Amino acid sequence: MAVITISREPGALGEEVAARVAGLLGFLLVDRGFLARFRQEADLGEADVAGVDEANLGEECGSDPESEDCAKLRPDLIARLAGDHDLVVIGGGGQGLFQNRPGTLHVRIVASRRFRVGQARSHRGLTAREARRYIMDLEARRSRYVRFLYRMNWADPSLYDLTLRMDRLSIEQALNLIVAAADEMRLRQVPRRLIVENLLPEIEKRRSSARFANDTEREFARFLEFYRIPYQYEPRTFPLEVDANGKVLEAFAPDFYLPEQDLFIELTTMKQSLVTRKNRKIRKLRRLHPEVNIRIFYQRDFYNLLAKYGLLKETSDKNVRPPDRE
Amino acid sequence: MYSDGSSPIHGRWKKTHMLSRFDQYIVEVLITQDAIARRVAEMGREVAATYGNSLPLLVGVLKGSALFMADLIRHMDIPLEMDFMAVASYAGHEPGQSSGAVRITKDLDHVIEGREVLLVEGIVDTGMTSGYILRNLKARQPRSIRLCTLLDKPARRIVKVPVAFRGFEIPDRFVVGYGLDFQQLYRNLPYIGVLSGEATGLARD
Repeated sequence: MAVITISREPGALGEEVAARVAGLLGFLLVDRGFLARFRQEADLGEADVAGVDEANLGEECGSDPESEDCAKLRPDLIARLAGDHDLVVIGGGGQGLFQNRPGTLHVRIVASRRFRVGQARSHRGLTAREARRYIMDLEARRSRYVRFLYRMNWADPSLYDLTLRMDRLSIEQALNLIVAAADEMRLRQVPRRLIVENLLPEIEKRRSSARFANDTEREFARFLEFYRIPYQYEPRTFPLEVDANGKVLEAFAPDFYLPEQDLFIELTTMKQSLVTRKNRKIRKLRRLHPEVNIRIFYQRDFYNLLAKYGLLKETSDKNVRPPDRE
Repeated sequence: MYSDGSSPIHGRWKKTHMLSRFDQYIVEVLITQDAIARRVAEMGREVAATYGNSLPLLVGVLKGSALFMADLIRHMDIPLEMDFMAVASYAGHEPGQSSGAVRITKDLDHVIEGREVLLVEGIVDTGMTSGYILRNLKARQPRSIRLCTLLDKPARRIVKVPVAFRGFEIPDRFVVGYGLDFQQLYRNLPYIGVLSGEATGLARD
């Protein structure tokens, strides 16, 4: 199956681009969240994978043979997945794992240090110094991870088919460039059996019910899963107010993000006072981040969605059907 | 607004007792039978002009598009073929059961690779169903694929879908008739009507 690996410098928007590419092409997005869920389903113990995260591994796995085994567990999982699914693999040494594999596109996403520090500051509410340190730490760990597993220098340009510099590109443009490259390399070839029954990757069925804050969010997630619309739950927190020291005083995390639509969705089915507060936050978010596409779902919108499928609980056939219909 | 000054959208409420018993839960006629007929004729000519003699394949999405499709093609004076497909709708979720995933319950009889395809929908609402079908059909590599819908309800859009031919843009109301149903009823109404909140369960709020 086709594989697109995306290696990204911290803060260069690689995660956002990868999610959009996976959504547009209908490929399975293999990121940290996916691997954690996969691990749960495959019933792998915590100990088996404790050190498998690329951010942790760089420091820990170099000397200990047991850690070395656990480090190789993650590439094994990804390699197995690639046998059955089209994948977008973000990080995780994908450029090494699939280095010479046919049907693979290796993408590197970079940006200037200044750009990346700015991103880290706005996404994580860090001061400039904290953001620089955060980026340097993460860079060093990722670099060590790739070097440890594949004896490669992750910054070596010859590892990549396509390198994108995000200073001058929008996410949309980066997405289009990657898709164009994938098409040029004829990665999109969908077998007919997949078209008919299962074009898009199966979204995992078992989700922890504790993951969602309330029943409305859970039901909405089921709608999205049913129609195979990729989503992320509360993936990003937007700082709305920051004091002089860079400390975040007010922030807002929309409930859902649909990468394919580049759309955040906030569900609001609670009492009016909270709705008013949320409305105020959303207005503020739109003012501070006009590029963010967000849609608010009020209680009535949600009931409409349920009513469309005849799922409002109080609805009975008696109410709907004409009385003279026997 | 049409050239004769009439409006396709009627704003006045109709009292339950003024209607026959069959449609007693229709609280408003949103688009009259005449308005539908006029607009569908216009759309048929517009679509025909777009495709010319390229032998398009019109794909109706069952069951909501059945009436619209039947009327539309009678106003297209070009050679064309038609086909239908159906997908399972979201059916809710019982505790302990998975809600499953959308699947095609009736697939096309035609191979569409290299063909000009027009997907015909009765209504585009959230865009979830249309988005799924468009994506599915695109993967079969038609020469082109466009979307034609009688009704477009953009206020509730979640999934962006490119609508090439649109009959009416409607407000965020619960509509039935002319092929559109609520729990499989009301498809045979000759007009587009608004179903009461009492019937849909929306009245409680």
